[in-house]
Amino acid sequence: MIDERTEELASAYVLGALDPEEGRLFERRLGEDSELRQLVSELRGVSELVAGDSPALEPSAALRTRLLMDFGERVTASRTAPRRSHATVVPWALAASFAGLCLLFGYQSHGLREQLDVRQHRIDELSQIGDTLRAERADLRQAVLSLQQSNRLANMRIAVMSAQLKADPKAVAVSVWDNERQSGVVVVHHLKPPPTDKDYQLWIIDPRYPTPVDAGLLKVDSAGDGRVDFKARRPIENANQFAVTEEIKGGAPVPTLKAMVLAGA
Amino acid sequence: MYERAAMVSGPRWRPAGWRALWPWRVAVNDKNPLGSRSDADVIRRIRAGDRAAFLEVYDRYAPLLLSVAARVLGDRREAEDVLQDVFTQIWHKSSGYDAELGSLSSWAVTLTRNKAIDRIRASTRRRRLMEEIAISAETAADAPMPSANELLHGRERAQHIRAALADLSADQRQVIELAFFAGLSQSEIAARLGQPLGTIKARIRRGMLRLREQLGDAL
Repeated sequence: MIDERTEELASAYVLGALDPEEGRLFERRLGEDSELRQLVSELRGVSELVAGDSPALEPSAALRTRLLMDFGERVTASRTAPRRSHATVVPWALAASFAGLCLLFGYQSHGLREQLDVRQHRIDELSQIGDTLRAERADLRQAVLSLQQSNRLANMRIAVMSAQLKADPKAVAVSVWDNERQSGVVVVHHLKPPPTDKDYQLWIIDPRYPTPVDAGLLKVDSAGDGRVDFKARRPIENANQFAVTEEIKGGAPVPTLKAMVLAGA
Repeated sequence: MYERAAMVSGPRWRPAGWRALWPWRVAVNDKNPLGSRSDADVIRRIRAGDRAAFLEVYDRYAPLLLSVAARVLGDRREAEDVLQDVFTQIWHKSSGYDAELGSLSSWAVTLTRNKAIDRIRASTRRRRLMEEIAISAETAADAPMPSANELLHGRERAQHIRAALADLSADQRQVIELAFFAGLSQSEIAARLGQPLGTIKARIRRGMLRLREQLGDAL
């Protein structure tokens, strides 16, 4: 008669949940009690069904091949012919050896073929993965370039400056400012050259600063054209506007607003 | 049905293309998945070095055993290593099988589970696996792959088994899974869940007996 305590032990035993000592004692009882063996058999069936509720997985073909190759060696090693007289043994031994070799080569050849199939399949898979990755990399590179382009453009500030003086109405300038690089270029047309004791000076208006930021001198040729790469004297966060003023030779620390010749946003 | 399929084509050197089809080819509803041959007979043949018998067992149970090892280990590559150990043991040391203590498949499942647990004992992965068990029931229900039970016993019986498992209380299912898949002893489960040892023992017993009662015809 099996009591509750024994059922507890048997249930835990088939799940591998007994402590080692408990397990040893239980196995001792198991060897002496056929009713208990029947219970364990049924509960093991239960544990197998619990285990089988997981998704099935197909083992790789390589595993089957490894096992077969391993067993091929075992079979060859264990098959030894009984002792007979030399006269009868030799031909049989030769025949058996030949047959054994055929079997061995047959198994190994099949195993190798399976291995080759598996490896070829793997190569094909890897090749496909490689193609996919290369295509993805090209797409990504394109996307990065596109992002960089849009990002660069987003960081660019382009301003057209128009004439502020009636005396010089044709003057015009275009300023391109790269906020990321903190540098820019300004191109000027038809701006009369300044008096000899004066210079044109470029300014950037950034709302974070109370006064315009000095961006250097602007040189023009005798026709009033010029192109200058410039940098600001202070870090620029937002190049809101640009202006060109006429200042004393060498430039001034702050602009003379009355002498503004070009301005724009 | 399996027996007929085995007679016609045999689970032996199947071309690779068949491998993907075989679970559906052998729609089994037999209680003895190896056909009319008893487990004892199959083991006797394996002990005699009968590779065909061994391959029958391998082809039949490898997906189930791999899923058990993978569930315990959480790593398919390691699970295949365990599977190789298990089948090597079945081939070389099948004397460990006692037909009176259960079917060949339940012995192989126990062997697989024990080898997988040995591998993760003292491993840091154990904690993670235990945590995963809490959600395993939900994910298993949504899993797109057929369960090992479905392959072995057919869809209808697999659904019956799943229904029986779902019928367990969450507490019962949790302790059974902690024991079987995470390799915790009853005392370890009690400590982990902060419950008295007696409660854990009773839960395991009630859960297992309930399953036995509900799955009687499938055992």
